[in-house]
Amino acid sequence: MTAPERRSYRTAIIGGGIVGLFTAYHLLRAGAGPVLVLERGFLSSGASGRNGGGVRQQWETRPTVRLMREAVGAWKRFGAEFGTNVWFRQGGYLFLANTAAEVERLRQVTESVRAEGLNGRLLDPASAGRHAPALSLDGVLAATFLETDGTLYPFPGVWGVYEAVRALGGEVALGVAVTGIRTEGGRVVGVSTTAGPVDAPVVVNAAGGWSADVSRLAGLEVPNVASRHEILATEPLKPFLDPMVIRLSDGLYFSQTMRGEVVGGLSIPHPPGTRAGVPTSPAFLRAMARSLVAIVPALAPVGVLRAWSGYYDDTPDGFPVIGEDPRLPGFVHANGFGGHGFMLSPVSSKRVAQAVLGERTDLDPALFSPGRFLDPNRPTRAEGLQPG
Amino acid sequence: MDPVPAPRPGGGSPVPDLRALRTRSTRYHRPRAPFCGVGYCTNCLVRVNGVPNVRACRTEFAPGDAVSVENAWPSARFDLLAAFDLLFPKGIDTLRGFRRPAFARGLYQTVVRRLAGTGSLPTPSRPVPMAPARSVATDVVIVGAGAAGRTCASALIAAGVTAVVLEREPGVPAVEGCETLVGTTAVFLPPPDLARPHPFQLIASALGGTAVDVRARRVVVATGGYDAGLWFAGSDRPGVLTAEGAERMHPVNAPGFRHAVVFGGGPRALEILDRFPEQAEAVVAPGAIDPDVSRRGSELDIPLYPRTLLLSAIGRGGVRKVRLARRGGNSPTFDVAADAVILAHRRLPHAQLFFQAGAAMTWHPEVGAYGPVLGAGGETTVPGLYAVGEPAGARDRDGAHRSGATTGTAVLANGSWPTPSTPPVDAAHHELEGYYQELLTAGPGPGKVVACPCEDVLLGELLEATERGYRGIEVAKRYTGLGTGLCQGRYCLPEALLVLAVREHRPVQEVGYITQRPPVVPTSLGALAGLPDPGAPSP
Repeated sequence: MTAPERRSYRTAIIGGGIVGLFTAYHLLRAGAGPVLVLERGFLSSGASGRNGGGVRQQWETRPTVRLMREAVGAWKRFGAEFGTNVWFRQGGYLFLANTAAEVERLRQVTESVRAEGLNGRLLDPASAGRHAPALSLDGVLAATFLETDGTLYPFPGVWGVYEAVRALGGEVALGVAVTGIRTEGGRVVGVSTTAGPVDAPVVVNAAGGWSADVSRLAGLEVPNVASRHEILATEPLKPFLDPMVIRLSDGLYFSQTMRGEVVGGLSIPHPPGTRAGVPTSPAFLRAMARSLVAIVPALAPVGVLRAWSGYYDDTPDGFPVIGEDPRLPGFVHANGFGGHGFMLSPVSSKRVAQAVLGERTDLDPALFSPGRFLDPNRPTRAEGLQPG
Repeated sequence: MDPVPAPRPGGGSPVPDLRALRTRSTRYHRPRAPFCGVGYCTNCLVRVNGVPNVRACRTEFAPGDAVSVENAWPSARFDLLAAFDLLFPKGIDTLRGFRRPAFARGLYQTVVRRLAGTGSLPTPSRPVPMAPARSVATDVVIVGAGAAGRTCASALIAAGVTAVVLEREPGVPAVEGCETLVGTTAVFLPPPDLARPHPFQLIASALGGTAVDVRARRVVVATGGYDAGLWFAGSDRPGVLTAEGAERMHPVNAPGFRHAVVFGGGPRALEILDRFPEQAEAVVAPGAIDPDVSRRGSELDIPLYPRTLLLSAIGRGGVRKVRLARRGGNSPTFDVAADAVILAHRRLPHAQLFFQAGAAMTWHPEVGAYGPVLGAGGETTVPGLYAVGEPAGARDRDGAHRSGATTGTAVLANGSWPTPSTPPVDAAHHELEGYYQELLTAGPGPGKVVACPCEDVLLGELLEATERGYRGIEVAKRYTGLGTGLCQGRYCLPEALLVLAVREHRPVQEVGYITQRPPVVPTSLGALAGLPDPGAPSP
């Protein structure tokens, strides 16, 4: 455990994942210290150390495409700015559609992507196969491909931002859990922790899969739901696959990492909430193995090296929650990122920092603000392209 | 691709001669030779009939098999890519290097990507069978048919209990009176679901690439143990072997070495002296040397070095001499000529299934391993899950029999379960940590200390992580990649725990557990794809 060094901070951030760390970084860069990041486990113990490393700009809605386009630029600069390599490799993302409805969906995705000035293309199966010759594309009707999408190695991202935060004088308390949100006169004044109380006029909820639990500590009902997702890695192989591949029909996604492992997952139903811990299920191993072998038959004799799971932080409309909660001044949300918190983190955290500093952000409040769920007449727009 | 040495003549199916097999490591193309002999390390990986990463020591080869060594050019004996080893004496810094100039990023990515892994995508010369898993339902499943597992199984069968025994080694005789699945490794034991008639689901991987799905009311884990690795400069060289590796791969009448330094001062070292009396050159022990080992050493007229650091194995492509220093600080180093080092100092239990099932674990400082918290009859904190033999602390055959018999009785009595409690943290540093404390002070060398041979992670990278303030085994693993290779961390994580305890100045229990993610050994996608539909009724 590393206990906080002072009693009082300008901002306390709950969650030492990539979103919390990046938020601290942007605040410190703006000269808005002192900042404390509180992490219950160890660095990278949550979804920041458990995700598949995908970075894509292919989305259903233009606001998400726009944010991710900015994020791609940030990930390209990461090594020069933070001193650690995330090995962001732009091998593209290949989405596969097996039904007419899925083809229609990919057509809309490509429209959004092209409207934002990116070179997304709708492909027939033969052209799709040229981007990934190892795939068996039986039953695939169409695909989309965007060559500037890619994958990265998440851990060095965590180390790089962690070191930058510390170099800027930020504090990261490891092994310290938040047990309560302290309020006075209807606004936040600090948090209670396993290492004692801490004063802070602004508290950021960047707790990932546990964000709904943290909001409830503050007495706030939120629609965020934690969902468990499983993932596996195979033995390393010499490079044979460049893009991240996603099949809409079963939510299968996989890529080959810089270390040669095929890493991927698919969606199988789990009860909501974080009670189950993070175990692997035999049902996932079976489903994933069947799905992967069907699409890359040559992988059948390749060994699975390890399997693990983590929590998505899902929202009803598929958009994240960024900004101050209108019900509790001083309580800022940086959560609801579904399975895409890592890829969005360099740019989402910039907006979180702006919200902490009371500045206006360029985010549409109808899509991103915490208050949107309180409005019964809110537009029913949704970001539905969640797999991968 | 490099054809492996000619098959050994004689009876049975032809196998590549494991004594002469040479391979290359993943990143630095360091010369390697089979090390463990029991199917865990990555030093005997070959490509067989288009399938990569096949462990030669665990494979029955057939006449006409196409067998080759990958990741070497032009050959494993003379590999030009070993230039990476010479060019980067302190290792390739993929974490912080390769960032400038920006225009070279693509080139760096291509090179670093090529350095990963050893095998390439399978190109099977015959279709890979997609056999459905075998499904078995039983009252008790016993994992391991060694002395402890056998004794326990026999006691249960005699009392009329239905039991199934799984045994990793092929060719082990069946346990009388029950189904014995040999060549079958238990790979995954999730926490039991008490709502099911058979709460336990145990997944095993059988030789030949199929899975076995066992449903059981109770599980007895009798998985035994293995001979640990050790960190020193050149510990990954051909010629460095575990005791099991020497026993399994080197026939007593024609071992592949002539002068072996035996490292260890206990019963395991004695077994090696008895097995290779002609080849034993010296006994080197990290601590005291047992009287019977000393006696045997004197009979063989070989020098004994108790309380001694093994600093390095020196040579080119093999071992020529080993460098030693007496413990106690500032002792001069001295060399012993040898062409092999046999590691017989420490056995570790196979405890992965207990972690997976959610059993409470406790640290055993004298062994340097975590084991399950146990009741008097081998009961773990997971009702229905028992430990016998080495995972239950048995140190020899008699102990294993006793443990098997006691647990047999306990299973029949279906007794009480220990309650999980936080074991007291033992703040003292023990013998094992003390050894590494002195080794780090003395400084191993010359040459690389490859901490994780599967992924070519260096000890220096681990120490750098600590120096930068990263603490705990979980973060160290993610920071360095240590323990993420094909041996599942068996030969590096136990050492890493000890070294981190020294460097972080805290007890091993605070450095962390070695969490074991399934599967226990790499299990093919084809085998897992054959598992039964979870929606279907259980057998």
